[in-house]
Amino acid sequence: MGHTATAQAGSGGLTATEHRLANGLRVVLSEDHLTPVAAVCLWYDVGSRHEVKGRTGLAHLFEHLMFQGSASVPGNGHFELVQGAGGSLNGTTSFERTNYFETMPTHQLELALWLEADRMGSLLAALDEESMENQRDVVKNERRQRYDNVPYGTAFEKLTALAYPEGHPYHHTPIGSMADLDAASLEDARAFFRTYYAPNNAVLSVVGDIDPEQTLAWVEKYFGTIPGHDGKQPPRDGTLPEIMGGQLREEIVEEVPARALMAAYRLPHDGTRECDAADVALTVLGGGESSRLHNRLVRRDQTAVAAGFGMLRLAGAPSLGWLDVKTSSGVEVPAIEAAVDEELARFAAEGPTAEEMERAQAQLEREWLDRLSTVAGRADELCRYAVLFGDPQLALTAVGRVLDITAEEVQAVAAARLRPDNRAVLVYEPLPAEAGENGESDENEGAEQ
Amino acid sequence: MSDTAAVTMTFHPQPQPGQARPWAFPAPERGALPNGLTVLRCHRPGQQVVAVEVNLAAPLDAEPEGLDGVATIMARALSEGTDKRSAEEFAAELERCGATLDAHADHPGLRVSLEVPASRLHKALGLLAEALRAPAFADSEVDRLVRNRLDEIPHELANPQRRAAKELSRQLFPPTLRMSRPRQGTEETVARIDSAAVRAFYEAHVRPATATAVVVGDLTGIDLDDVLGETLGAWTGDCAEPLPVPPVTADDTGRVVIVDRPGAVQTQLLIGRIGPDRHERVWPAQVLGTYCLGGTLTSRLDKVLREEKGYTYGVRAFGQVLRSTADGKGASMLAISGSVDTPNTGPALDDLWKVLRTLAEGGLTDAERDVAVQNLVGVAPLKFETAAAVAGTLADQVEQELPDDYQARLYAQLAQTGTVEATSAVLAAFPVDRLVTVLVGDAAQIEEPVRALGIGEVTVVTN
Repeated sequence: MGHTATAQAGSGGLTATEHRLANGLRVVLSEDHLTPVAAVCLWYDVGSRHEVKGRTGLAHLFEHLMFQGSASVPGNGHFELVQGAGGSLNGTTSFERTNYFETMPTHQLELALWLEADRMGSLLAALDEESMENQRDVVKNERRQRYDNVPYGTAFEKLTALAYPEGHPYHHTPIGSMADLDAASLEDARAFFRTYYAPNNAVLSVVGDIDPEQTLAWVEKYFGTIPGHDGKQPPRDGTLPEIMGGQLREEIVEEVPARALMAAYRLPHDGTRECDAADVALTVLGGGESSRLHNRLVRRDQTAVAAGFGMLRLAGAPSLGWLDVKTSSGVEVPAIEAAVDEELARFAAEGPTAEEMERAQAQLEREWLDRLSTVAGRADELCRYAVLFGDPQLALTAVGRVLDITAEEVQAVAAARLRPDNRAVLVYEPLPAEAGENGESDENEGAEQ
Repeated sequence: MSDTAAVTMTFHPQPQPGQARPWAFPAPERGALPNGLTVLRCHRPGQQVVAVEVNLAAPLDAEPEGLDGVATIMARALSEGTDKRSAEEFAAELERCGATLDAHADHPGLRVSLEVPASRLHKALGLLAEALRAPAFADSEVDRLVRNRLDEIPHELANPQRRAAKELSRQLFPPTLRMSRPRQGTEETVARIDSAAVRAFYEAHVRPATATAVVVGDLTGIDLDDVLGETLGAWTGDCAEPLPVPPVTADDTGRVVIVDRPGAVQTQLLIGRIGPDRHERVWPAQVLGTYCLGGTLTSRLDKVLREEKGYTYGVRAFGQVLRSTADGKGASMLAISGSVDTPNTGPALDDLWKVLRTLAEGGLTDAERDVAVQNLVGVAPLKFETAAAVAGTLADQVEQELPDDYQARLYAQLAQTGTVEATSAVLAAFPVDRLVTVLVGDAAQIEEPVRALGIGEVTVVTN
């Protein structure tokens, strides 16, 4: 077990049991009594990939509506009751799923189950035009705050649109367009709920200081009578050729503080060995301060402020390898691009060294341990593997699979995928400066008690 | 218009809570190494990623005149090569442990944070010790860090939230106070920093006798005394007198400053002043009252600005300790922060002030106070699940000269704080006529509506 940090190869001693209610709701339970807390996580198998043309952003807008009350819970009650019970909660929407989660002190677990069941079964009893209009405005402000009013804020949206062709289910991002958010109607939201929010289109996980029998009895009591239905259409096919077959490119001239080179490489689907190999490859190349790109661009050439790779794992379409380089003052993009291409070509030709493999796998292992360090993190992983791959147990062995990848597999996926004809490129060029700015800097803010 | 046809499930009454299992904020074990290093340790079963925080008594006030940012460059340079390893070798060794190491400088001092799987703690602590006791501070690495830092500055200025924070500090504090200026320096001051300045700052302020290491995680099977002895125990240094701490003063005359961003689709708001730190008795009541005002989306501000009007994705009120000392010379920043869409900037500020005035007139309700206490106290076991969260709080307590059981006692105090105390604390924290409002947004669109509100003199500065 040479470079493995834990005896269980990173599963952290995690175990899980699976159950299914008669209405089709899948339930995953995992016990851990170290801290008196329990996490509830509910994944609905619906994300922005299920949206249709003209209604981008609907899955996410709908997620907001799930917090606007249901038959037994008035107004903001979902938030008020959970927070008043000493719990925390939220929801998020991605390409492939929508999740809702509560972390509760153990003795308040039943409340969270009751709340999730109430909105799964009866949201439409409370949903009205007023909350629709209000949350439409909130989401439009979320879009402005997170994307439109920040330098490079729309890069992800632009690169995604390049990397997945027009009409592809992943061509647009979950936040959606302003025009489509404006166009969404209350009837669209109702239809969305009737189509996708059903017990047989969801996985519920409960992790932490729980009594599994009691928990299952509560789940049966609260969720058991919600009728399942088969209204859901499968998402449009996300299959694409392995290689883009040419370089797609867009140059943006706008008010940004520095030139930037960003790119999205098409990678294997999540759930495959090749995807894990790609993760290791991107970590060696651009994950952290000892990576090849950091050493080359930030340390040696000193042409970049920051340079790295990230990975967007996707199950229903090719994953993306995400390059992000912000240039140093006065440096032009072609110099950066040539250096990146040189490093990628060298890596494809030579593969990683043994030491690079060890470093990358140690980092990926720690990231996995971090995700497992909270009951909420574990609950989310169990749902992820259950929804996307049909088997929550895969969460327990995920880190083992990453540690099992060989240098040859890493080299192979790099040679096959990290090539100029398999990427979408976004280049940022700042608007010409009007006046010299006097530079000052960083303040952080936060809350504490 | 309800859709009862779709509702066919069986409804049950809201369940009542079970019996709460006791939980207490972990009490650390305090000790010291022969070299004078203070050590706080805390065993947290199941937390396989161990968190180590080291506090160094190198406050920003100690930076020499004209060298703002030298503490930041020194913090970064600690991990860029040692007497045994080059910068690249050091980074590689650290990542081989699966570790992360971050260092940053702030007003009260410098903080180095290590996270590593427990099985590799020994090796990673060895690297941390090397960085602390024998940093190379090579000219080439320091020059690179300086250039890199200069390149970062335009990115920070372009970020509306950071730009607002910088302006608020400049407005609140007198120019002579270090707090009025950016923590990581300006282009002018950073450009002056070289390896000699970094080494001089290190030699003046970094030594085990004035440092504290906090180690938290699952320490099963680890002989921490041995491990510490072989690693941080090898760090040597002399003693030092405590540094003088200048008192914090601020001008909170009610006024508005617009940082002009032509074309901005939103206005970033940062409305603040300074208040007491955690040594003051009012702190728990202030935490409670501030939560009721703007701690979450069901608090007073978001109830109106987000959930009724849809002007924002969220506005928060908070208190953040700037510097805190046992002799009561500390201060915290009290602020309200968020962003609102440009056309609704005037109406949003109008509503925000109405919320503050309504609070002043009617006070908090008992129900609000109860929910706030239940949340703030109830979430503690969730909030401190990870080793990193516990270590961070313990290190903050050390840095703020608070006792090791401060957090544990805070929960008891919150539970005992009444509605009247919470009301008076939040009103004292956010008086409507003593707030400095910074708006980063499109002056051409927002200046007139904001002027019309009469919340203070309005000035516009160019970005």
